[in-house]
Amino acid sequence: MSDEELRNMISMTLTCRIDQRENCSDKMEQFLQRCFYQSGHYNSEEGFSELDRKLTEKEAGKLPNRLFYLSIPPNIFVDVVRSASRTASSPSGWTRFIVEKPFGRDYESSGELTRSLKMYLAEEQIFRIDHYLGKELVENLSVLRFSNLVFQPLWSRDYIRNVQLIFSEDFGTEGRGGYFDNYGIIRDIMQNHLLQILALFAMETPVSLAAEDIRNEKVKVLRSMRRLKLEDVVVGQYKGHTRGGKSFPAYVDDPTVPSGSVTPTFAAAALFIDNARWDGVPFLMKAGKALHTRRAEIRVQFRRVPGNLYRGNVGTDLDMATNELVLRVQPDEAIYLKINNKVPGLGMRLDSSNLNLFYSERYQREIPDAYERLLLDAIEGERRLFIRSDELDAAWAIFTPVLKELEDKRVAPELYPYGSRGPVGAHYLAANYNVRWGDISSDGSF
Amino acid sequence: MALSCMRCPAAGPAAAAVARRGAGLPPPPSSLALSFARYSGRRSTAAAGWRIEAVAGKGVKDPMDTSVENAVTPAAPSKVENGTPSAITLEEFEDLSALSKSDESSVSITVVGASGDLAKKKIFPALFALYYEDCLPKHFSIFGYARSKMTDAELRDMVSKTLTCRIDKRENCSEKMEEFLKRCFYHSGQYDSEEDFAELGKKLKQHEGSKVSNRLFYLSIPPNIFLDVVKCASKSASSVNGWTRVIVEKPFGRDSESSAALTRGLKQYLVEDQIFRIDHYLGKELVENLSVLRFSNLVFEPLWSRQYIRNVQLIFSEDFGTEGRGGYFDSYGIIRDIMQNHLLQILALFAMETPISLEAEDIRNEKVKVLRSMKPLQLEDVVIGQYKGHTKGGTTYPGYTDDKTVPKDSLAPTFAAAALFINNARWDGVPFLMKAGKALHTKRAEIRVQFRHVPGNLYKGCFGTDLDRATNELVIRVQPDEAIYLKINNKIPGLGMRLDRSNLNLHYAARYSKEIPDAYERLLLDAIEGERRLFIRSDELDAAWELFTPLLKELEQKRTAPELYPYGSRGPVGAHYLAAKYNVRWGDLSSEHYKA
Repeated sequence: MSDEELRNMISMTLTCRIDQRENCSDKMEQFLQRCFYQSGHYNSEEGFSELDRKLTEKEAGKLPNRLFYLSIPPNIFVDVVRSASRTASSPSGWTRFIVEKPFGRDYESSGELTRSLKMYLAEEQIFRIDHYLGKELVENLSVLRFSNLVFQPLWSRDYIRNVQLIFSEDFGTEGRGGYFDNYGIIRDIMQNHLLQILALFAMETPVSLAAEDIRNEKVKVLRSMRRLKLEDVVVGQYKGHTRGGKSFPAYVDDPTVPSGSVTPTFAAAALFIDNARWDGVPFLMKAGKALHTRRAEIRVQFRRVPGNLYRGNVGTDLDMATNELVLRVQPDEAIYLKINNKVPGLGMRLDSSNLNLFYSERYQREIPDAYERLLLDAIEGERRLFIRSDELDAAWAIFTPVLKELEDKRVAPELYPYGSRGPVGAHYLAANYNVRWGDISSDGSF
Repeated sequence: MALSCMRCPAAGPAAAAVARRGAGLPPPPSSLALSFARYSGRRSTAAAGWRIEAVAGKGVKDPMDTSVENAVTPAAPSKVENGTPSAITLEEFEDLSALSKSDESSVSITVVGASGDLAKKKIFPALFALYYEDCLPKHFSIFGYARSKMTDAELRDMVSKTLTCRIDKRENCSEKMEEFLKRCFYHSGQYDSEEDFAELGKKLKQHEGSKVSNRLFYLSIPPNIFLDVVKCASKSASSVNGWTRVIVEKPFGRDSESSAALTRGLKQYLVEDQIFRIDHYLGKELVENLSVLRFSNLVFEPLWSRQYIRNVQLIFSEDFGTEGRGGYFDSYGIIRDIMQNHLLQILALFAMETPISLEAEDIRNEKVKVLRSMKPLQLEDVVIGQYKGHTKGGTTYPGYTDDKTVPKDSLAPTFAAAALFINNARWDGVPFLMKAGKALHTKRAEIRVQFRHVPGNLYKGCFGTDLDRATNELVIRVQPDEAIYLKINNKIPGLGMRLDRSNLNLHYAARYSKEIPDAYERLLLDAIEGERRLFIRSDELDAAWELFTPLLKELEQKRTAPELYPYGSRGPVGAHYLAAKYNVRWGDLSSEHYKA
């Protein structure tokens, strides 16, 4: 490919979120002038030294800082890192590598990958991206927790009954299941995105907002967590479904998926943090493809009011009338707190309504894509939102035993129809821990 | 039927979810009677079943299981007698007996001072709204009583002019109005004539027939004739076999002594249970909601003390002056007119400990405790103001003393700000700031709760030097546009870390399309049902006056001159200095947004 061809290719997708703005085309042209292409093999040191020469030319004597973004399959991570670090590292500035998931498929392979990377790179050169950590509301989670006094006394087992981390997609693998089938939803979503959010949610107050302080606290949470057990996991896989004359394919109908695949496209899990703050509080995770809705959210269900004066108004199930804090990560970013209030009028009917903050209503400008934030952070050397090696180890340690057991036993996933609310097993899992999923229960008044 | 208010007899199936305030616990006898009384007449079986469930307590799993026969009553009183050993008062007994043959009881509501402004603007419309929504008992009649000569038809004519208030857009309104007006009657008489009241009593009797007679007198008259009316009415127009209740409006005296004298006077003829001192602010929707918020949401529970709350602000402002009707106001002033009653009552509800139940006496006990824990107000903790004339955009607004009904040299405050303190374990050191004024720039009543700053705030770098400006604030807006919102800090979306204070909102108008009933509707219905929770007990009133009387005397003795402020302004700046003295910043006047 020539530089021109690359520019052509890029220009077709550049218009995403800012194409309505003024000067966009001017800016685009200037931007494209700075884009170049170098062809080479991923495992060729010659190719990378060629690149190095070109980079040096562009750097023109200024302090060179170099960022490599590895947007490649995991099996060639190490090749590229070796070649690039040996022959294209910055001689006087920094050299950083952004790596995308998957970071291995279990504790051992992840450890192996980390060891290999570290043969060529120091820890602070490695930027493991988890693009969920770049989402606006995930960023906001720490702000909410640590800059609002009203949340401070609530953030523990004394007041929180359970926490739910929910991720759902309303589409399946759609002919691109080859990669997915090898990993499954637990590795693809839970072990990284949801667990990272959990760690941010549950960590103790860090000494400062500096990356190492935050990552230290996250590691502590992860290391306090119980290994996930098979009986605390429900797996599912979507099956074909016909609705309104339209047929939706099953996961195993995907031509890139082996027909006997037992890979979970849905999983629910109950996790526990055995520390003073969270002992006994179930953290429920749920992630699935081909469900009825697209959504990612954190739901915090509070305990019931002890000695509730209004218990006569609430009905027999006091837990139905508890407060709930919801942080909706996508779509339509929002924060809301469900509170009980009185229905206006004579008499005393209680109602659960929301104290709302809808981002789109309050903030006119578009919310930047997670990748924008993370790229900028990598350039600036801000490591707060990237995953450190020991965090990654701790995350795998929680999930690896259950993943192995699922595979060894070839545990059959519960089938659920494409576009449904997922396997009912998730409800039974929740019921085991006296939890009710907040996203599926009726939201109305009681 | 569908329109009937949830509390009233003819509720649909939705009423299964309805339990009446005060119905939370296995209630003592009076509340049982009251709640049942509500279901007299065309009762909803579902709702009644629910009630039984609440009475029976946790044993019953499904409220709907309880049989309708049980729900409908005679069994209920005996259950109470067995269940609670406490003595049942005569009145409660009458409630119960009235209940058991509810179709045979009647309520007569006599509005004394029927030609007055309050009666026309508030009381009759509220009664009509209750009637429209099926909240009044089956057998009721309404009597106007005043000195002027008037026929029933003339009264109906007068009443009909103001009836259309909040429900005039609804279906059947005119039919309902006609039916309602047919039940309205007028009796002319002197306020101090026992004969005239005896005459009224006879008329009431005619309407009641052989039914149990329950009588409610609404005293919409100047305070100087309260006692005359109470004496005559109680002596010669009391119910012989039902209850007799008297609703009294402020002012309840002008200081501890005169208030106590009034109470003593009333008690010569009435027992405490018969006196319903109305404070219409307590009937406001969001004031009612205050206890719900506090006691049914776990998230507020740990916050409600000196540990987390930095100060509480109770703010009342009107955007008009006395407008030619300053005669009454001038002899009372804003402190008596607003602070000592409305704002102090809200404060007491806000700050009280958790009551044992939602029963009237339990709540009023807690309120009295708060009031009695308060430090009497000191002169140096008060700022008073009076509005002066102001010309703005070609329009001239008059000063308070320009009002012809106000003495030229009046020092009556039309604005006051005060700092109060509750010396108990929960609130020690937390300033409760009150502010009330007329002729200000806006009309508003709200409670603002400012929280402390976050200790060791990680984001302090994002807030600038004044951490107190970045604290959380809970605002309960009572009027206009009822709303609850919690100000929180969050991140402004985008790259970088800019913090912003935004609101977690609940706007009533957006969530609840139904109109919110007027405070008078609620309070009248409560009085009919004998629900005393929102009425002020004598000892509460005493305690409230104790706090303000020394200050009021001192202001009057020293003839303290109020700080003048222009009509339509934000009030005297002195209020800011008072707040500053206690390290408080008024939440309603500071700029809402600031960026780090």
